[in-house]
Amino acid sequence: MAEFLHYFPLALSFTNLLTLILGVIGGLILGATPGLSPTMAVALLVPFTFHMDPATGLILLGAVYTATVAGGAISAILINIPGAPANIATLLDGHPMAQQGKSQTALYYCFISSLVGGLIGMVIMILFTPPLARLALKFGPSEMFWIALFGISVMAGLSSGSILKGLLGGMFGLLISTIGYSPLLGSPRFVFHDVLTGGVAIVPALIGLFAIPQVFALVETLGLKLERPDFKPEKGVLFKTIADNLRMVKSLSIGSIVGSIIGIIPGAGGQVAGLIAYDQAKKFSKKPESFGTGNPEGVVAAESANNAMVGPSLIPLLTLSIPGSPTAAVLLGGLLIHGLFPGPDLFINHAEVTYTFIASLVLAQIAMCVFGIILSRYSYMVMSVPNLFMIAAVTVLAVYGTYSVQNSFDDVIVMFTLGTLMYIGRKFGFSPAPVVLGIILGPIAEDNYLKGKLIADTDVGVFSYFFTGSMNIIIILLCVASIGYSVYGEIRAYRKAKEAAV
Amino acid sequence: MKRDSIVSLVLLAGIVSLYLSLGMMDDPQAVTFPRIIIIIMGILAALLLFQSVVFKQKNGSQGAGFPFGRFLICFFMIIVYFFLMEGIGFYLSAFLFFIAVTFILGIKDLTWRTATFRTVIAFVFTGILFLLGGFLSAPVPPHLSAGPRLVDDDDRLAHVFLISCQHGYDAGLKVRGPAR
Repeated sequence: MAEFLHYFPLALSFTNLLTLILGVIGGLILGATPGLSPTMAVALLVPFTFHMDPATGLILLGAVYTATVAGGAISAILINIPGAPANIATLLDGHPMAQQGKSQTALYYCFISSLVGGLIGMVIMILFTPPLARLALKFGPSEMFWIALFGISVMAGLSSGSILKGLLGGMFGLLISTIGYSPLLGSPRFVFHDVLTGGVAIVPALIGLFAIPQVFALVETLGLKLERPDFKPEKGVLFKTIADNLRMVKSLSIGSIVGSIIGIIPGAGGQVAGLIAYDQAKKFSKKPESFGTGNPEGVVAAESANNAMVGPSLIPLLTLSIPGSPTAAVLLGGLLIHGLFPGPDLFINHAEVTYTFIASLVLAQIAMCVFGIILSRYSYMVMSVPNLFMIAAVTVLAVYGTYSVQNSFDDVIVMFTLGTLMYIGRKFGFSPAPVVLGIILGPIAEDNYLKGKLIADTDVGVFSYFFTGSMNIIIILLCVASIGYSVYGEIRAYRKAKEAAV
Repeated sequence: MKRDSIVSLVLLAGIVSLYLSLGMMDDPQAVTFPRIIIIIMGILAALLLFQSVVFKQKNGSQGAGFPFGRFLICFFMIIVYFFLMEGIGFYLSAFLFFIAVTFILGIKDLTWRTATFRTVIAFVFTGILFLLGGFLSAPVPPHLSAGPRLVDDDDRLAHVFLISCQHGYDAGLKVRGPAR
């Protein structure tokens, strides 16, 4: 906490504050735009930060991450389409409120409860991150190898409908990460063409896997008519809404606590947090029947939960390089291109950058609420942007971002090839998140595997080195539990579907 | 045949060919890790095939109504854009691509009014990118007057070196003491 307070003023410098405000405004607009996922928005921004000071670049990414989660509620409330999976629970009561002519009130509830939840989540992050990072100091190559696999197994289980497809995606990502020269031995692998000589860098992979499938998905939806935004300006409701919102202590507490707990669990994400918080708020309500008909408590619980998740979802990311959500996985890519490696090193050798980033996340929550309230009056305009413009703009930005990092046209080819493959993969139920995580964690897994093997060969043997020791066993059990839980979920869903068919 | 069965068979074919390609690589030590991954992928693909055969699934209707023509047009426009970019530079090609996409994919509601509006938006968007590029000093493919891009061996070596450095960072090549 002392370090956090020590570095806090750095986040208030003119450049950092301006970057933060621009990031929040951009994030709110991108989050509100139907068809643009927050993950893709952050992925497109990663290369732009490459040319910035690391702290400023990370502030931009953090601000966009925070704001897109809240911004996604705008389209959920106004046109019944969640801007992000985290906002699914918001539309259950948010959209009925808009249909009753209370769209502005619903948006105010959304931003105020997002602020409360977000700040509680940030406090938890600030308290828990440094101790967990110190624990990571005790990890050697074998533990780091298993941690990398744990991250992939968690993401595989939660990002797509099938654990087998998720794991296949993660393994495909690991395999892509081995293209190019071996990090320790220097021999070429899978270099079938000159384009692959340098391997697949993180930025082209991030942009290709998230942006290109989105472009093609937008092409598919051309011509489809979206619901018209239900927006009617209301006068003089701001202060009344703030007062009413702060009186909803029960919903705010449920949302913030559920969001914070779910956020710490790697891979669970805002969608789960929002839905569980909504369900619990309904169960604890004196009028559960009013949920789903435009009860503000539903909006408050869902939105406080999905923003409370933002801070804690970065705890496993900053300490163990396990992202709490697909967007956090992209953020991990942003850290790595600046040469920042998650773990104790981040808090010891890069303390200034790290704590400035954490401080900016707290400020981003406040800025998100302030600018969200200001922009909510004009938010319906974002819904009117035609998909045609998005297709062109996202493609150009994807090319621009990819090329600019390494000044390489080869990267653009790699980006487009991976993106097209992912689009086809998505049609068959594969998700980009495990692939991205595999590419990001691949070098960590391989490097630690090779180091561990070298140590093991001179010591206790490979099996004993990787499969014994309390930490190894705990992480292996976590991997098994994460996969087992997903398999159990799939079997249960299959049985339910079978019973429903009978 | 079900979709997942086809997917797993295609994957298995790819995995087998990748496994065979490992034998052609110079250093057997360097392919230990990829070999393990390929074997695990093979097992997972076989399990997916088993799952798709044993657990009966309903065939989804994901293929129905797919706008194949529109997809192909967009795909080829992007390819042409890449070629143009190498020839005429980033900003001009971005402007032309923006116009091409909005005019061709949105031909149904193309009038003088919408055409003017789309051209103005393309101009403004490219202008913003130009200013942003200058502000961030981000490199883009050079424009026509700068001549064609020349890549000699030194450039390529420097490029490989830079990427290797980045991979070094990515791998977190730090000296970490063993746990025990």
